[in-house]
Amino acid sequence: MGIETITVLIVLSLLALMAVGVPLGITTLTVSLGTALLYFGERAGYFIVAANVGEVLHKYELIAVPFFVFMANVLERSGIAHSLFDSMAVLGGRFRGSVAVQTCIVAVVLAAMSGIMGGEIVMLGLIALPQMLRLGYDRKLSIGIICAAGALATLIPPSVVLIVYGLAAQVSITKLFAASAIPGLLLATLYIAYIMVRVRLNPAMAPIYDIPETGLPFFKRLKFLKGVILPGILIGAVLGVIYSGVATVTEAAAVGAVGALVVAGVRKELTWAMTRDAMRQTVLTVGSIIWLVLGAISLIGIYNRIGGGEFLRGLLTALDIAPIWVIVVMMLIVMVLGTFLEWIAIIFITVPIFAPVVIDLGFDPIWFGVLFAMNIQIYYLSPPFGPACFFLKSVAPKDIQLQEIFAAVLPFIALQAVGLFLVLFFPDLALWLPSMLN
Amino acid sequence: ETFNIQTSFNAGDFSTQYITENWLPKIKEMTGGRVEIVLTPNGSVVPAKETPDAVAAGVLDGDFTSVNYFSGREPAYAIMGDLISGYDTPEQMLGFCKDGGGEAVMQKAADAVSGGEVHVVACGPYSKEALPARVPIRTFEDLAGKKIRSPEGLAAAVFQAAGASPVSIPFSEVYGALEKGIVDAADASAYVNNDATGLHDVAPYPLYPGIHSMPSMQFTINKQKWDALSEADRTALRDWWYEAMSAMTAEVAKKDKELAARDNAGGKIEVINWAQEDRDQLREVARKQWEVYAEKSPLAKEALNANVAYMTQIGLFKK
Amino acid sequence: MRRFLATYADVMDRVSVFVGQGCSVLFFACIGVSALEVVMRYGFDRPTVWSTELAMTLCASAWVLAVGYVTERHRHISITMIETLISPRLWHVFRLLQMLISAGAILVLTLALWGPAVKALRHVEYSGTALNSIQPTYLKVLLVVGCILYLLQLAANVIRWAHGTEGESAGGH
Ligand code: NA
Ligand code: NA
Repeated sequence: MGIETITVLIVLSLLALMAVGVPLGITTLTVSLGTALLYFGERAGYFIVAANVGEVLHKYELIAVPFFVFMANVLERSGIAHSLFDSMAVLGGRFRGSVAVQTCIVAVVLAAMSGIMGGEIVMLGLIALPQMLRLGYDRKLSIGIICAAGALATLIPPSVVLIVYGLAAQVSITKLFAASAIPGLLLATLYIAYIMVRVRLNPAMAPIYDIPETGLPFFKRLKFLKGVILPGILIGAVLGVIYSGVATVTEAAAVGAVGALVVAGVRKELTWAMTRDAMRQTVLTVGSIIWLVLGAISLIGIYNRIGGGEFLRGLLTALDIAPIWVIVVMMLIVMVLGTFLEWIAIIFITVPIFAPVVIDLGFDPIWFGVLFAMNIQIYYLSPPFGPACFFLKSVAPKDIQLQEIFAAVLPFIALQAVGLFLVLFFPDLALWLPSMLN
Repeated sequence: ETFNIQTSFNAGDFSTQYITENWLPKIKEMTGGRVEIVLTPNGSVVPAKETPDAVAAGVLDGDFTSVNYFSGREPAYAIMGDLISGYDTPEQMLGFCKDGGGEAVMQKAADAVSGGEVHVVACGPYSKEALPARVPIRTFEDLAGKKIRSPEGLAAAVFQAAGASPVSIPFSEVYGALEKGIVDAADASAYVNNDATGLHDVAPYPLYPGIHSMPSMQFTINKQKWDALSEADRTALRDWWYEAMSAMTAEVAKKDKELAARDNAGGKIEVINWAQEDRDQLREVARKQWEVYAEKSPLAKEALNANVAYMTQIGLFKK
Repeated sequence: MRRFLATYADVMDRVSVFVGQGCSVLFFACIGVSALEVVMRYGFDRPTVWSTELAMTLCASAWVLAVGYVTERHRHISITMIETLISPRLWHVFRLLQMLISAGAILVLTLALWGPAVKALRHVEYSGTALNSIQPTYLKVLLVVGCILYLLQLAANVIRWAHGTEGESAGGH
C-alpha cells in the first residue's frame, strides 16, 4: 500500500471517529495504534506507540501549561478583572464607544497576565457584556468584541499556544513570546479602530453614557490607577522573569502562579476554598490535555516512520508557487482544520510537517509560530467549533443564542485575517522585537 | 535494500546536511546499489534514548546516535559516550573504536540493554567541544574556584575534582548565565556552533581545542538485517561509516580552526590553547573520577579498562 | 448483579474523584518546587540538582493520575456537533460506542506500555543526570497505572450508561 493510500485512510478514520464523538485524544490514539499494528505487526507496533507516548511525560516545557491554567483560574476567581474594568472606565473618560474600547484595553491587560483563552472571555462576559447591553450598545458589536479581544490571551504573551508550538517546532519559547507581542497589539488596535469607525458611522450603536467620576479633571481621576497597579506588577513579574533570562518559561509560570496568589492575598480575596477550587478546575482542564498530546505525538511518530512526513513535505515543496504562497497554503489548511479540530491537535498534527518546510523555504520558524498563533485566534471564533463563542455562551444572558454569537464574530474574523496577512507580508512586525532582545 | 536510520542530529544541523548530501549517495555506490540509507532526524520516529529498543524491535533498521543518551540504562555508555578530558583529538578516539576494542565494548553494552538483537557496526566521535569562558583560564591551576556550567554526571565530577565548581543549568540558559556572570565558563558545543550562537560575544576567552567533552556516537543495524547482508556489504557499511566520520571530523576541525584564527586575529576574543602538560594534568585528575564512575557496573569498568589500555598504548598515559 | 455493579460504579467514582482532587496537592508541590528553584538559583546563587526532575515527576503524576477524575466528569475533549443532528436515542447509542472505542484503545495502549514498564522494572532505568533518580522507570510504570485507572472509570461510566444513572455530561468521556 502506498503512502498516499495510507494517508487517505488515516484522515478518513480520524474524521469518522471524530464524527461519532469519540474524544480527540482517543481518536488519534486509536488511529496510531491501528496504523502501527497493521504496518509493523504486534511487537514493533506496540513499541513505537509506547516509546512516543512515554516521551510526553519528559517534556519539561509542558508543565508550564498547568501553571498558567492555575494562574488564570486564580485571577478569574479574584475581583481583579472587575476593578481593572472600573478603573479603566474612569480613567478613559467619555467618548462615543468608550466602554467598547475600554473592554479591548482591559482584555489586552488581562491577556498579558493569562496564558489561556476561556477565563478571560468568561470574565469579560460577566463584567463588560452586561454593562454594554445596559448602556444600549449594539448587541452584535458587544458580543464580537468580547470574543475577539478575549481570545487575545493566547497571542499576547504569555501563551500556552506558543508553548505547545515551541515544543512541536523545537524553537525558543522566549523568542516566540517576544515575537507575538506586537502582532497581538496590532489585532487589538484593529479591533479598536473598527469600533471607532462603526460607532462614528452609526452613533446609535454606542450611546454616550454618564458616570460622575469621568467628569473630573484627568489628574483627579489618577487615583483610580490603583486598580491597574497590581495587574501591572504581576505582568512585570512574569514577563520580566522570562525576558531577563532569569528563569525558564516553566519557572516564570510558577512565579506567575505564586504571584497570582499573592495578588489575591493583597486584595484580601485569598481563601482556602478559592485556591482549592482553582486547583481542582486546573486538574480537570489539564487532565484532558495530556491525553490529547499523547495521541497526537504517537500518531506523528508513526506517520513519520512510514514516510508520511516526507510525503506531505514533498507535496508542499512541489507546489509550483512562490515560497510565500506555500506559507499561505499552510495557513489555509490550519484555518480549515480550525473549524472542527482542537488547537493542540492542530499543532501536533501540522507543525512537525510544516516546520521543516518553513525552514527549507528560508523562513523563520519563529515568524511562522506567530502566524500560527494568529490563525489559532481565528480558530477560536470560527463556527462550528468556535471555543471562544462557547465560552461566552456559557455566561451570556439566556436570550443570546449561539447563532447570534457566531454572526457577531464574523467581522472580527475578517479583522483577524487582515492582521494575519499583515504579519505574513511584513514579517518584521513579528521579528523586530526578538531581534531587539538579542 | 533501504535502511531507515534515526540520528541524534537535528533536521537543520550541519552534520545532517553534510552526511545526507555527501555520504548517503556513497553507500549506494560502495554496495553496488544494494544498500541505501535514509537518515531521519532526532526524535522523529522514537525519542533519542529509545533507539536501541526500536532497532531491536525492528521499528528502526539502525541508529546513528550519541550514546550518552543511554547512560541511565547502562553506565558503560557514559564512559563510551563522553570520557571527559580523555582523548585530545577525535582521531584518537576513532582509533580506539576501530582498532582498539571499542566496538566490542559497545556491542556488549548494546547486548545489555537490548538482548542481543542489535549489531554495533562502528563507533566514534566527530568533534571535540570547545569551552567558552568569560574569564581567562590559561592553565590547569586556573580552573580552581571557577564556576562552570557542565552536564551532570562525569563532567561535573571531573570539574569538581579539578577544583572548579560545576553548575547545573539548562542549555537554553547558557548565554544568559555567561552574560550575567552566573558562570565563568560553560559546556556548550564545538567552536563553530558556539560562534554561531554568539557565545563568544559574552565569553571572549574560549578554550580551544577544548579540554573536556568529546561526545561519541554509535552506528548500529538490526541484528537480523545485518546477518542477512553479504560479507562484502558488511565491510562496506563499516568502512563507509568510518570514512564519513573521519571526513566530517576534518570538515568540522577545519571550520573550527578557521574561526579560531579569525577571532584570534580580531583582537576582541582571545582563544586559549592549553599546553600539553596542562592537558595531561587534567587527564590524570579525570582518570580518578572515571574510576569512581566505572564502579557503577562491571561493564562500565570493562569499558574504562579498554579505554585506558588504548590511551596508554598511544602514549596519553605513561606505561 | 445490578446492585453489585451499581456499587462498583459508586465506589469507582469516589476513588477517581478522591485521587483526582488529591492531584491538586501534587500540582501545588510542583509549583512550589519550580518557584523555589528560581529563588535558590538567582536569590542565593545555589541552583539545586533536583528541582527539574522532581517538578516533572510531580507534575507527570498529577497529570496521569487525574485521568479517572477527568473521565468521571466527562471532561475529555471531543466534538459533539453530531448530537444536535441526530435523535436522542441514536445519540445514546453513540455514547456507548464512544466509551467502548475508548476502552478498546486504552486497553491496547496498556498492552503496548506493559512490556517496556516490566522491562524498566527488571533492569532499573535511571535518569543519568546528577540526581540519577529512577524517574524514567517510575514514569513508565505511572503510565500503565494511569491507563488502568482510565479503564476502571470507563467501566463505571458504562455501568451508569446501562443503568441510566449518568450525571450531566459535558460531552466526551
Ligand atoms: Na497571554
Ligand atoms: Na473554529
